[in-house]
Order: sequence, then C-alpha cells, then structure tokens
Amino acid sequence: MTDYRKITLDGLWNNNPATVQILGLCPLLAVSGTVVNAMGLGLATMMVLAGSNLAVSLIRHFVTPAVRLPAFVMIIAALVTVIEMLMQAFTFELYEILGIFIPLIVTNCAVLGRADAFASKNPPLPAMLDGLMMGAGFLAVLLLLGGMREALGLGTLFSNMSLLFGPMADSWEIVLIPEYRGFLLAILPPGAFIGLGLIIAGKNVIDKRLKDAAKRREAAEPKTSRRVRTTGTVA
Amino acid sequence: MNASIGKPRLLFDFHGGIHPPQNKTLSNQRPIRPAPLPAQLILPLNMHLGAPAKPVVQVGDEVLKGQKIAEAQGAVSLPVHAPTSGKVVAIGPRPIQHPSGLDAPCIVIEPDGREQWCELHPLPDWRTCCPPSALIPRLREAGVAGMGGAGFPSAVKLSPRAEHPIEQLVINAVECEPYITADDMLMRERADQIIAGVEILRHILNPKEVIVGIEDNKPQAIEAMRRAATGSGIEIAVVPTKYPSGGEKQLIYMLTGKEVPSGGIPAQVGVVCHNTGTALAIHRAIVFGEPLISRVTTLTGKALREPGNMEVLLGTPVSALLDAAGADMNRIGRLVMGGPMMGFTLHSSAIPVVKTTNCILAATAEELPPPATEQPCIRCGSCADVCPADLLPQQLFWYSKNQDLERAQQYNLMDCIECGACAYVCPSHIPLVQYYRFAKGEVRKEMAEQQKADRARQRFEARQDRLAKEQAEKEARRKARLEGSKPAAASGVDVAALKAASLEASAAYKAAVKALKAAEAEGSDQVAALASDVEQLKAKADAAKAAVRDAGNAPAAPVVDVAALKAASLEASAAYKAAVKALKEAEAAGQDVTALRTEADALKAKADAAKAAVRDAGPATAKAAPVQPATAEQPAAEKADDGAERAQKMKALKTAFNMSHKHFKEATAALEHAEREGADNLEELRKQVERFKLKADKAKAALGLLVDQAKADMRASGSDLKSLKIEAAQTEAAARQKARELEAARVKGDDERINVLSRELDALQREAQVAAGALKAATDEQGLADA
Amino acid sequence: MSLITVTSPHATRSGNHTGAFMRQVVYATIPGIVVMTWLFGWGTLFNLMIAIPAALLAEAAVLKARGYNVRFALRDWSAVVTAVLLALAIPPTSPWWLIVIGIIAAIVVAKQLYGGLGMNPFNPAMVGYVVLLISFPLEMTRWIGPHEAPSWFDSFRMVLASANVDAFTGATPLDSFRTWAGNAEQLQALPILHGEFASLGWEWVNIAFLIGGLYLLARKIISWHIPVAMLAGMALIALPFWLFDDARYASPLFHLFSGAAMFGAFFIATDPVSAATSRYGRLIYGALIGVLVWIIRSHGGYPDAVAFAVLLMNLAAPTIDYYTQPRTYGHHRAKRGATR
Repeated sequence: MTDYRKITLDGLWNNNPATVQILGLCPLLAVSGTVVNAMGLGLATMMVLAGSNLAVSLIRHFVTPAVRLPAFVMIIAALVTVIEMLMQAFTFELYEILGIFIPLIVTNCAVLGRADAFASKNPPLPAMLDGLMMGAGFLAVLLLLGGMREALGLGTLFSNMSLLFGPMADSWEIVLIPEYRGFLLAILPPGAFIGLGLIIAGKNVIDKRLKDAAKRREAAEPKTSRRVRTTGTVA
Repeated sequence: MNASIGKPRLLFDFHGGIHPPQNKTLSNQRPIRPAPLPAQLILPLNMHLGAPAKPVVQVGDEVLKGQKIAEAQGAVSLPVHAPTSGKVVAIGPRPIQHPSGLDAPCIVIEPDGREQWCELHPLPDWRTCCPPSALIPRLREAGVAGMGGAGFPSAVKLSPRAEHPIEQLVINAVECEPYITADDMLMRERADQIIAGVEILRHILNPKEVIVGIEDNKPQAIEAMRRAATGSGIEIAVVPTKYPSGGEKQLIYMLTGKEVPSGGIPAQVGVVCHNTGTALAIHRAIVFGEPLISRVTTLTGKALREPGNMEVLLGTPVSALLDAAGADMNRIGRLVMGGPMMGFTLHSSAIPVVKTTNCILAATAEELPPPATEQPCIRCGSCADVCPADLLPQQLFWYSKNQDLERAQQYNLMDCIECGACAYVCPSHIPLVQYYRFAKGEVRKEMAEQQKADRARQRFEARQDRLAKEQAEKEARRKARLEGSKPAAASGVDVAALKAASLEASAAYKAAVKALKAAEAEGSDQVAALASDVEQLKAKADAAKAAVRDAGNAPAAPVVDVAALKAASLEASAAYKAAVKALKEAEAAGQDVTALRTEADALKAKADAAKAAVRDAGPATAKAAPVQPATAEQPAAEKADDGAERAQKMKALKTAFNMSHKHFKEATAALEHAEREGADNLEELRKQVERFKLKADKAKAALGLLVDQAKADMRASGSDLKSLKIEAAQTEAAARQKARELEAARVKGDDERINVLSRELDALQREAQVAAGALKAATDEQGLADA
Repeated sequence: MSLITVTSPHATRSGNHTGAFMRQVVYATIPGIVVMTWLFGWGTLFNLMIAIPAALLAEAAVLKARGYNVRFALRDWSAVVTAVLLALAIPPTSPWWLIVIGIIAAIVVAKQLYGGLGMNPFNPAMVGYVVLLISFPLEMTRWIGPHEAPSWFDSFRMVLASANVDAFTGATPLDSFRTWAGNAEQLQALPILHGEFASLGWEWVNIAFLIGGLYLLARKIISWHIPVAMLAGMALIALPFWLFDDARYASPLFHLFSGAAMFGAFFIATDPVSAATSRYGRLIYGALIGVLVWIIRSHGGYPDAVAFAVLLMNLAAPTIDYYTQPRTYGHHRAKRGATR
C-alpha cells in the first residue's frame, strides 16, 4: 500500500531535494536572487518533476535496464522543452531573465534522481505525487532563499511579480526598507551559499528539536512493569 | 686521539631545544651523603629492560651483601643482588616504579645492620689477565644496567655485532634535565673512578675515539673530569646547556655529526653511548668485583628541607629517603621519580629506588602546578621550532586527536622521543606528549594485530599447500599403481637410460666386431676369445635394444592404437555397409552378385575383427588414459597432450566431414537436376550421392566417437568445463589480490614483505596459467565438438 | 600527602599563553593607531570603539550557542585582535553598521562557523574586509585625505549617520597612482604621491606599523619568515618593472610604504591559523603574497590588494604545507608530498 503521507512528507521535509539531498544547487543558487525568479524556476521544476515522474512510471516496465537512463533523460528533455516553450509564450520577460537556467532543469540531478530512484519502481499515481512533492519542496526552499536574498539585497519582497502573474501583481510589492542602499553580497553567489547553509542549519536545528521532544515524550510515557525502579532516573 | 685539553671539538647543534629553569642549585650545594639504612629493602625482579629475573632464594634465607638473589632469564636480562646482608622476609607483588602504578614481583629483605659482604672476585689487572670479551659476562653477572634512565643491560650493549664496527664511544654526562644533579656530584667527587670505568669500556669496545659530553652548567665537574682524564686520551667535550641535549640521539649528533637512523640503534652508525654512572658501576664491578647494589640519587624539590644527593642502596623505599631529606609531607603536591620533563609520578612513597632512579623530586603544588586547561591550537608553530627531532608537532597533534594513525605515521609519529619540549612551549597548554603516547600505543597495537593476522594467514596458506601436496601425492601413487600393472611401463627417464645403455652396448659390440676382423686378418690366436666376446656383446646389445623397444612402445601404444583401431573399425563397417548396399542394388538390378557377396563377407569379417580389437583395447583405454585431477601439473600437462592430439584428430575429422557433406549435397543437387532434366547418368549420380553420404556419415560417426571419448575423459577426470572455469577464475582472482598486496607493500616500502609477496605472486600466476590452459584445451575440444 | 598522578612532562608552564600572545599583537598596533589618528582624525578610534565590543558580543553569542564557557574562551583575546585588525583596515569614519556587518562576517562566518579558534582556513579579518568591499564598494573606498581630518564632532556624525561625508573624502596614494598610471606629468604633479620618501601621510602609517612589527619580532610573538618574505617578494618583483617603466609602475619603496603593505606583512599575513606551518612553507607563502599584492595593485581591479592576496594564499597554504615538510632526524629525505 503506497503511503501517500510519507511521500508528501519526504518530498517536503525529510528528503527535501535542496536541503537534505542537496541536489540541483546550480539553479537554486543562481536564480534565487528575487522571489519572482525563484518562483518561476521553482514552478517550472515542479511541473517537470511531476510530469517526468508520471511518464517514467508509465513506461517503467517496457524499458530495459541498459537504456533506462538515456530513455529517462529523453523524457525529461522533452518535458523541459515543452515548459520552456510555454514560458517563452506566456512569460516572456521572465523567460529572458532566467535565460539558460530553464533548459538546465534537464541537468538538475533531482529530476533524474527521482525518476531513477522512485518513478521507475513505483506505480504512476504515487510517482506523480512524489514528483509533485519534491518539486514543491524545492520550490519552498527556492522561495525562502529568494525571499531572504531579496529582502537583504534589495530591501523589497515580491517585486516584479507581474512577470509571472500578469499586471494585477504589480501591487504585490512590499518595500521593507525604504531607500535601501542594497547589500550586494546577498545578491551575489556567495550570499546564496551562505543563505542556503543557514537554511540547512535551521532545518537541522528544527529536526533535532523535534527528535529531542519525541524522545522526551517517549521517556515520559509510563511503561508497564511490575518491578519498582529503585535506582536511576525515571523519565 | 684528541687531547683532553687542546683544540676544542667541532660541535653540531641539533634543531630546537628549550631552556627551562634549571633549579640545579637546589641540590648541588652539598656533597653526596649516604642514605640511612631503611627497615626493609624491596627489590623488584625487573629493574632493567628485558626479561625479569627469577629468584634463587626463598623466604627465610639469610643473604650476604652482594649475594645473587635472582638469576637472569635469557639474553636480555640481569641478575639481582642483595644490597646488604639480612634476611629474605617476603617474595611477592609490591608497588613498584612504573607509570601504570601496578604491582610487580619483588624480593623483600630485612637488613641486619652488619653489612657483611659475600665473597667478591675483584679483577684489578683486567687489562692483562683476559681478553676484553671475557669482561662482558662479568658485567652481566654484576647486574650492570644503564643508569641514565633506560636500564638497558650494559653487557648486551657492549657486545655489538661484527657488521657494526664501533668508531666512537660517547659517555653521556650531560644531565640536561632540570633538578637532577646526581651525575654532576658523581663527577665532582669520583671522577677518577669514572675515568677508570671509561677505560674499561674503551678496552672492551676498542673505538677510535672516546668522548665525554658534559653540559657547560657544571664547571666543577668539567674541571674534575679533565684532571682525571689527563693523558688518557679521553676527550672531555663541553656542550651548551639546552634541553634535551642529553638525549642519546641528540648527544651523538652534537658530538659526532652522525644521525642514528630512524628505528635503528647507535651501533648502526658506529657509536656506543653510556651514562657516567654506568661507567662508575662498571669500574666497581670489574676492579672490585662489586655487583650493582647502590647508586647516587638526587633528592630535590621545594618540599624538602635538606635536598641533595645521596648514595642509596637499591630497594630503599622512597619514604625513607624523604624522611632523610626532611620532607614536609603536607607540602608535597607531586612525587616524581626522574626529572620534571621525563619522570613519572609515584602514587605512593613506599615504592623502592631501583637502578634507573636518578632523582626523586618532591615538588610542591606551586613548583609543579597541575596541568592547565587545554585551549584550541592556534598553529603558532612554537612546538615545531623547539622539537629536537624536527617533527611537526602541531600536525601530529591534529592527527592524533582525530585518531588518523595513518597520517600521523606519515609525519613520523614514531620518531618522537617524548621529551616534552613541545608541551613546554605550547601557549594553549595542550598536553601534546599525552596525545602522542596515545597515538603511538594505538599504532603499536595495530602493528601487533597485523602481525598476528599475517601469521594466521601464513599458517592457513601452508596448510592449503600441505593438503594440495598430499592430494597430488595420492594421485601420483595411484597413477604409479596403474602403470605398475604393465611390466614394461617405464617412465620417460627409464626409456632414456635404456636407450643410452643400448647405444653403449651396440657401440661396444661394433668395436668388438672390428677387433675380431682385425684379428682374423692378422690371423692371431685371440680370434676365438674375440669371437666369444663379440657373441656376448651382441646378445647384450640386442637385449638393450629390446628393452628400449618394449619400454618405448608399451604406454604410448594403447592410446594411439585405440583411436586407430576405432577409426579402422569404423571404416571397415562403413565399407561393409556400402558393400551390402551395392549387393542389394545389384540383386535388385539383377546383376551378378557373387563377387559382391564375397566382398561383402570379407568386409564383414574385417569389420568384426576391428570391432573386437577396439573392444579389447577399450577397457585398457579406460585404465591407461590418465585421468588426473587438474591440480597436479604433470598429469594436467599429459592430459593436455592427449587432449591436443585428440583435438587435432577432431579437427581433421571435422574438415573431412565438412568436405564430404559438401560433396554429398552437390551430388544430391546434381541428381535432382538430372532427374528433372531426365538425363541418363542417374544411376551414376545416385551412386555418387551414396558414396559421399557414406563418407560424411563415417566422418561424423568418428567425430562423434571422439567427442564422446573426450567428454567421458573429462567427466571421469571430474573436471568438466564448469569446474575448470571456476578453477581458472579462482586462481586468477587470487593472483590479482596478491598483486594488489604487492603494490600496497611497494608503496609502504617494506622490502621484506615485497619479496615474500612477489614470490607468492609468481606461484599464483603459474597456477592461474595452468588452470587457464586446461580450461582453454577443454573449451577447444568442446567447441569443436559442437559442430 | 595527596599526590597527583599524571604522566610526564610535568614542567609545562613556560609562561607562554595564547591570551598573552594576542594581547601583544594588539599592543603592537598602537603606534599605527596613533599615526592614523594624527593623520585622519578620530574616525579610527570610533572604528575601534565600535568594532571591539561588537566582536566580543558576536563571539560570546556564538560560543554560548556552542556550549562553551564564554568567560574562559574570551580570555584568549582572539576576537579583540580580529576586531582591531578589521577596524584598522576599513576607512576611518565608516558608518557604524558597516563595521558591525564586517565584524559579524569575520567572527561568525569566517571563524566560528568553521569550528572556532584554530580551525578557520581563511584570515577572519580579511574575510570581513572583502565581504564589505564587494557589498558596499562606495563606503569602502571613502578614505580621507591625510591631514584633512574632520573634527571630533564631524567624525561622530559621519560614523552614526553618514553625514557630510563628501566634504572630507580624498583619494589614497594607491588610488591616485592607479588613476594616473602612464601619465608621467600628472604623477609628478600630484602631491599625495610625494611625501618624504614615499606616499604622503601613508608612509608614516606604514612606518608606525613597521615599528609595531619589529616589536613583535623582538618579543618572538611572530617569526621573521613571513614578513621578510612578503616584503622581499613585493620589492623584488616591483624593482625590474619600475626600472623598465617608472611612469606605469610604482617604485618598490612606494609599494612597501603605501597602503596596507607593512600592516599586512606583520599583522595580517602572520595570522598563524591560516598561514603555512613549516619554515620553508612560510617563506614561500610570504613571498607569494608579496608577489600577488604587487600584481593585483598594478594590473588588477582594486587599488589595494593585501586582503585578496592573503585570502588567495590562505587557499594555497595546505598545499604548501604538504610539499614543504622538514626532514625528521634519522630520515634520509623529507616525506614531501606524502600521500596515502
């Protein structure tokens, strides 16, 4: 029985492609300068992940092991081309800003990795959910990093969202610090690395706290025993 | 030889070194005084490096001063003597001088105060009475050990091997550690005896130079030694004060410029180094016959009211000495046996003084404060600046802390002399020496386990070899038994010998015939004798020839014959079948059949005879064809030969079959064509077709027979293709593994291991080749058979 | 009688102490601080007054989070040294937030995140400096001309609120040389390039730091290998180029006494944690820093290059160590480049 809850949690937190598997760093660090860029690429990647997982899962019984990786890459490349063309049609400025990083989704190890590790061994519906959730996890980290870098580097949030959502999104921009002189480091790649490092550290801290809390809860539950404990600490 | 006062010696300076506060004036202000006789003397059986001594007295025995109470065990060991007369009250474990704080077996003597000496054997004319090498056992019997701190039996050090000629004798009077002044006072008061001892050493070792190294912080000692050494040719070299210039390796480098190779001993560069106290003990042992029963020990430290040097009997508990020096027990924070840099702490003051105790340091807590808290290493490099072995202590610390023993050894961890200079200067108060000791212990443990594993592997391999050899012997015996049933079944060696014999015999015969002819021509009387000789030799030559013939023919014959017989029988039966067919056709055609019938009968008879011959030869084949396991080389080679022959035959038969089959097909086609065309020569063509078919069938049958034979052989030999494959793969894998080990050993530079491994590798490679060859032969046969 | 039982060695108090070492380094910068105050006004002191508390706070915060005994750990004065070096490297009268960001980058990111004292591969003060340089290029090049120092009050306002900065900015000698390199008459005319024997004003700053450095050498806090190698490297590569074309390339003397040459040689490059360890290694390390400084100054994109040169050589320090191990007693050859 496929555990949909587990798939979801894995993709979003426990096996997050950006903070746990640490895959796909190239687009993550290069385009997460602002929220809109991050969201654009994140959505594209999510769609590619979901689509490629579904497609790979459908053909998984017909592909021989010798050619499975080239076959998967072909599927992923086809999907990415489709997405690229869609972006070129509907969000042209964003497409120009993101530039080469859209075709580079093909080389994103997370995509091929999920196809090989999960989609090729599981039925279509779980595979698609896995792709979707992995993409969502990736998108979440992208957004977080993008938000941090935009806030620190430009002093705004959600600027230029019209590139993605059309003219009605012009009003979404929040200026956090008026007349911000800018912290260049946050926009440059070193800032991205440091930001990602802090995000991963933060996730580890949260994980540890959760684990400690779970351990304490477990120790606090009384265990049935007829013997009386006379030494050591209880709970 | 250099004069003792004259051109100063060129001194080298070793890298690093520190100048801690010397604190020597604490204890060198007064002369050596004798220590009081304690209530009990505790003598550990192991006061030296090497095997502990074995007691030769029992509880309750009365002993005299200087009497041997424990016997040395083995080559690197020393006896123990009673320091004073008294009674043995106990033999058992007592706390002894060791950093671990563990107990060890000791002999406890209660002095009776009479100080009665046992019988001594002095040798005042040691120069002339006996050869130098005869003095060495005396030193061993006197229990003289290195008194500078290591306690190595001096007799062993004085017997260097012939490949290490001794050029310099170095006497270590440096005493570089702070607080210690035992050698200083010894030299001030007993310089003559020390020099006499050095002379004895020189007599034994016969070096080119004798150098005494003294630090320049002991001016009175230098003066005393110079005076005592005038005219003797012993050089007194004054070295600058630096810790640790008293380290053997550092001192040798300073005085001679030679470096003791890593992991080696000074004798390898032609130097022997002894402590001044040892020289004194040697003098007393040879000239006076006194065994080593007392030594001068420095009692120092701010917790003592009267620090100084004392002549202490071995086995005196430290508590007695502390009392004699007026120790304030409450102020003692640390009790160190040895100096502050390399001594070890005592956990109780009941521990006795032994041969290597040069100092007892009763330090207050302020004098030697407890270790400071370790801070992170800032990589300042001060430690590397002071290391006398020119190591990189900060790197060793890094890797020891992370237990990366491999890297630590690459930085020469094992060359550390644990002098403590690096820990002294470290601004972060890191306990460096403790880290290195830990890492060294781990390395030694690993090496010991590696040795055990190697030995286990060697024993396993030896066992495998033994089993394989037994197996091979069994097979050889079985084979010999089989061939023993044939009387003429001689091995190749015999055939050659027989051939040689026969040649000889015929040569002799020919010579005899010549002689006879000559005699007949001359008409001499010897003719009759010569004629009989000729007869005899002829008989001999004939016999030899016959023997050769029998030996040569018998074993080879069966195999070849069987194949030939079989082929012959096949031919005969095929011919017979053809004749029968022709007969039938003739009968059908209404021709004259009698000739054909007789032919057919003759052929039948032939075929039957051939079959019979094959049948007779058959059982012999099964026995004679050597069916050996593929592990023994010789049988495998033979089988390979048979296999090769058979393979050739099979090849020939195969081509024959192919050709005849082709012809048959052509003929059939021609026949059909002709039938369709309605030509006249149908009969002819049909006959042709038949003929070719027969040929093809014949060849196929013969081939099939040979294949069956090959298969039967291999099955009987138990090495079908599969097992041969496995065999080959296994030997190959073993050879590869061995090659990898060899590479690893090469990188390490371990020559011994490289030799061992390369030999094993060669053996394995040969085995692999043989197995591969057998496999190839088998596959060839199989391959050909799968036509 | 209660006896301690520990293993040898027992004499371990040589008087060397990390905190004492670091304090000496801070004391040695005092001549430099005095000269900079004389030349550029109170800005330098304000920098220090903001940097040192910020550094101590940042380090205390991180050490506490890591579970260390803060009071004991801060006693090694290493945060103070980093703060002083960074404060002296950035222009006087920089805004307060600039210093704070620089300190955080230096202490938290470059030092503590790598493992704390003794574990940082890069010089923390220089990392902080470079972070500031690439993030706020405008503020970081806003130096004051020598002897044109603003008053105490003006400096205070500049530090707190970045007020009236343009009134006081002037180019540094290295800046000027860069701008006018190749133009011989301009180079002759500019007063800032002609002090007593090198650049105006800045020559005294460098002499002051040289004095501080010699003090450190005398007290054996640092060893001579790195400073001598760095200065020699710089001078030796500048010499032939200057002889060849003195309009385009500055003289060795100019290079040695302008910018952060002396400061870098004695205080920055000698940071033991990030430098090479062996003797030969240190010579090579210092020499290459000197060469790199000259190259970046003459051909690179920034007027002063000590920070970049030091960071680049920090990258190379492990490799240099790898190939320059000393020969241990008893071995024939050094195991240079020993690997697995």
